[in-house]
Amino acid sequence: MPIAPVNISLDRDLGLRLYRQMVLIRKSEEQLARAHQRGLVHGACHTYVGQEAVAVGVCAHLTSDDVVFSTHRGHGHAIAKGVSPFELIAELLGRAPGCSRGRGGSMHLFAPEVGLLGTSGIVGPCILQAAGAGYSFRLLKSDRVAVAFFGDGAVNNGAFHEGLNLASIWKLPVLFVCENNQFATEVPFSYSAGNPDVASRGANYGMPGIAVDGNDVLAVSGTVAEAVRRARAGDGPTLLECRTYRTRPHAEGMGDFGYRTREDVDAWKKRCPIQRLRAALTADVVANETDLNAIDSEVDHEVEEAYRRAEASAWPTAADAATHVYAEPRRPEPAVPPDPGRSVTWMQATLEALTAEMEANPGIFVLGEGIGKRGGNFRTTAGLFDRFGPERLRDTPIAERGFTGLAGGAAMTGTRPVVDFMFADFLLDGAGEVVNQIAKIQYMSSGRLKMPILLRGCIGIGHSAATHHSGNYSTMYGHFPGLRVVLPSNPYDAKGLLHHALRCDDPVFFLEHRELLALKGQVPEPAYELPFGQAAIVREGRDVTVVALALMVHKTLEAIEKLAGISVELIDPRTAAPLDIETIRRSVAKTGRLLIVDETFAPFGFGAEIAAHMADEGFDDLDAPIRRLNGIHTPTPYSPPLEAAAVPSVDAIAQAIRDLAAE
Amino acid sequence: MAIPITVPRLGWNMEQGTFGGWLKADGDRIEPGDRVFALESEKATEEIESLDGGYLRIPPDGPKPGDVLAIGVVVGYLVTSMDEPLTAANPKAAAVVAVASETVVAPASRSLEKHESTASSPRARRVAVELGVDWKSLTGSGRNGRIRERDVRAATTHRDNAVPITTFRRTIADRMLASHRETAPVTLTTTADASNLVSWRARLKSAGGPVPSFTDLFVKLVADSLRLHPMLGAHWTNAGLRLPASIDIGIAVDTEAGLLVPVVRNVPSLSLQQLATATSELIERARTSRLTSADTQGGCFTVTNLGSFGIDAFTPIINAPQCAILGIGRISRHPAVIGDAVEPRDQVTLSLTFDHRIVDGAPAARFLQSVVQAVENPAAW
Repeated sequence: MPIAPVNISLDRDLGLRLYRQMVLIRKSEEQLARAHQRGLVHGACHTYVGQEAVAVGVCAHLTSDDVVFSTHRGHGHAIAKGVSPFELIAELLGRAPGCSRGRGGSMHLFAPEVGLLGTSGIVGPCILQAAGAGYSFRLLKSDRVAVAFFGDGAVNNGAFHEGLNLASIWKLPVLFVCENNQFATEVPFSYSAGNPDVASRGANYGMPGIAVDGNDVLAVSGTVAEAVRRARAGDGPTLLECRTYRTRPHAEGMGDFGYRTREDVDAWKKRCPIQRLRAALTADVVANETDLNAIDSEVDHEVEEAYRRAEASAWPTAADAATHVYAEPRRPEPAVPPDPGRSVTWMQATLEALTAEMEANPGIFVLGEGIGKRGGNFRTTAGLFDRFGPERLRDTPIAERGFTGLAGGAAMTGTRPVVDFMFADFLLDGAGEVVNQIAKIQYMSSGRLKMPILLRGCIGIGHSAATHHSGNYSTMYGHFPGLRVVLPSNPYDAKGLLHHALRCDDPVFFLEHRELLALKGQVPEPAYELPFGQAAIVREGRDVTVVALALMVHKTLEAIEKLAGISVELIDPRTAAPLDIETIRRSVAKTGRLLIVDETFAPFGFGAEIAAHMADEGFDDLDAPIRRLNGIHTPTPYSPPLEAAAVPSVDAIAQAIRDLAAE
Repeated sequence: MAIPITVPRLGWNMEQGTFGGWLKADGDRIEPGDRVFALESEKATEEIESLDGGYLRIPPDGPKPGDVLAIGVVVGYLVTSMDEPLTAANPKAAAVVAVASETVVAPASRSLEKHESTASSPRARRVAVELGVDWKSLTGSGRNGRIRERDVRAATTHRDNAVPITTFRRTIADRMLASHRETAPVTLTTTADASNLVSWRARLKSAGGPVPSFTDLFVKLVADSLRLHPMLGAHWTNAGLRLPASIDIGIAVDTEAGLLVPVVRNVPSLSLQQLATATSELIERARTSRLTSADTQGGCFTVTNLGSFGIDAFTPIINAPQCAILGIGRISRHPAVIGDAVEPRDQVTLSLTFDHRIVDGAPAARFLQSVVQAVENPAAW
């Protein structure tokens, strides 16, 4: 559905405003380039020189409630969206008042107060996050709009495909702005695209795709006006291709003529978007040279002043290096109901928690394959579709990266997504969205954005699920700052921890061992919360401490029944991150012996982490070496005898305890 | 180009050494591996070997024996020809010389020295400090003799009221408590005339060969009675009462560590001499901690004898899941009324504890009665 670019008629106020914004970006960039040459920019510096018309033309139609997600070349988007040159320059100089408080630098700019929800050093995620913000705005019944700025390098990336498709099928209020500056870093787009006509790709996803001259701010602005109107009206997303050129190197200080010629660059400099608007304004006698020169010198002064202030600003304090990795922990509701509960399965217990939280919080919605009418592969959403409708129980295409990234964008913008992966293994195709984006956004935004998102899926070996349906990712996700990792071992804990997860502002992995889903236990009917980072002492003992998670708790209990004369204290940390080291330390202080039983691999794992803590903090309490018992370091095999050999057995646990007691 | 010969570091904390003299003369041909000079550190004198080859040049102002030299000081050169000037040389110190023989400088700390000889757990050392015990003098009970917390605590028992509970003690405690909790014990006592038994044993003694103890005789008599009353040898199991496939009888043995109950297999098949040999061997192994777990498993009945301590009657605890245990008291002479006469006779009190879940009082009494008859009339047997 080709839509022709629209030119707007020249209005003096609008014309001067666009002009001023573009000059503000240009002068700020020139100031930053100089600072970089003097060695005052500590890391990379990716300037936006030559592309100013795109950011300014798009943002002219956005309010401060609308949101923008951008790329490693985002200085222009930041200023166009309302970040002051002072905050931008201070950020690149690494100073405390920088827009990311010194946590980001050139590629990671955040200013949620003006709707800049982040620029990213990774190509692609901004597309998914904008779709997620669009999802929030739909769910919250608001007419706000989300914009993704990305380069030509992003359109051959899976995020583009998955994000545009999701935005299209759910008619999300999103504007996808491709700034085709013809090089992805230094690789020509003409070489890397099978179909170099980006605008035409809109048709692939059933959305309008429009190409405009990205160096003509009036053309950009006119086209965006219509796309934004459509988005606000609920008519869905638009793909806009702005053809432009950056006239400085990919990053300051890099050689520029190994992949393009000086002549090409000079030719594009002559098509400078600022000069072009200047010419249009004067030709139409909307403004005269004096007006424009006055703006130039006013902006010169503003940027110089901003630079002077930025350079004089304080450095961040070292003590703040790790603040805002997590949200302020909220105190859970203290009371666990006195109700002794009824015997229900794990699936029933967690479904009760999800239902109650969805009832209480209209911002919660679930994404996943088959979680709508079908009610989830593991009955995780049984009956909820009829109760809460399709917008809150959203079946997805098989596009894990797409809907995970989308969920991250939604969580930043006022809703609380629950991403139901069915099997946690499936997430790995979208792991970058979790590790690079979802885990880091609270920190990168210095706590100004929250990331309340629940990532749930089955883990664990059993019933010949083989290697793509049996992973246990607690170690991997527990490694990264910014994530919470929960692995309950029984229905009571699962319900209490899920309630807590759905009220906490951090991203939470809720990993459910498939062999435990049918496990029954006493569970109170009313809601109750169990906080993260508090281990359960499953069984008290004197001689040996055993730490185990999820299914291994049950196997260890069986092993204990086989032992005579050895008194075992069994600890279930319940969450791998945060990890309750203190309870383990206290137990080891009593027993002097520690065995960690872990279904998954040993190297760099959960057991290694606990062992390191105890070898340090509990050294003088140890009466024997610390032992680990792990699954073997192999992908999960299928055949029952092979599968059984891959995980710690009850007998192996019992023997390990006996051996440790004899040390 | 001349390669400088420098003073090497012989130990991680060495800062200087004393020059011990040249081992080669000026102008000598040096091959890699040749020892060139001696250097004395705090710990030892080492002969320093060359990594490079060349002709040795000793400068006229070179070191004299006894000179104290800092690490890295150039003491001489290796040159390719004797005409070569000696001005050159980027000190290639590390490459030039190495210690002639691999020498590990002994660390200074006493505790580290101790590590090499006696392994101990950090907890044991901490507790030793807390209790003022010299742990280095202890013998460890852990793997490879590692000193553990329990070893340190055991060393303090003479001045500490709390005797540590060993795993062995705890096992006994758990089993006793389990038996006490899970069985319905009733104890029957009776007295038997043991005169014939005593004279019988006296005859066996004079016959030569291994002499059965009184306990052995009782084991044999009990085995016989169990054939008549098999329910007394039954096990209580969840699947039902399990009658013994073979008459295997446990004997309570007092050891230094505590009570052990080795089991004699298939008692009816053993002659008295064979039985005596088997029990003395089991008892010896029990007292020297050489019993295997198989030696203590699977008995259908247990005999315990406290007679040598002057005990007459007591209430033994059932060795669950067995049905019963027979306690043997002291054999001593008492006046007995036989017809109208009073005669001195050897008498013994027998205490049978049985699990009332498995059998009732009457069958248990009948079993005890048959044991008494066998005691009083061993000849018939």
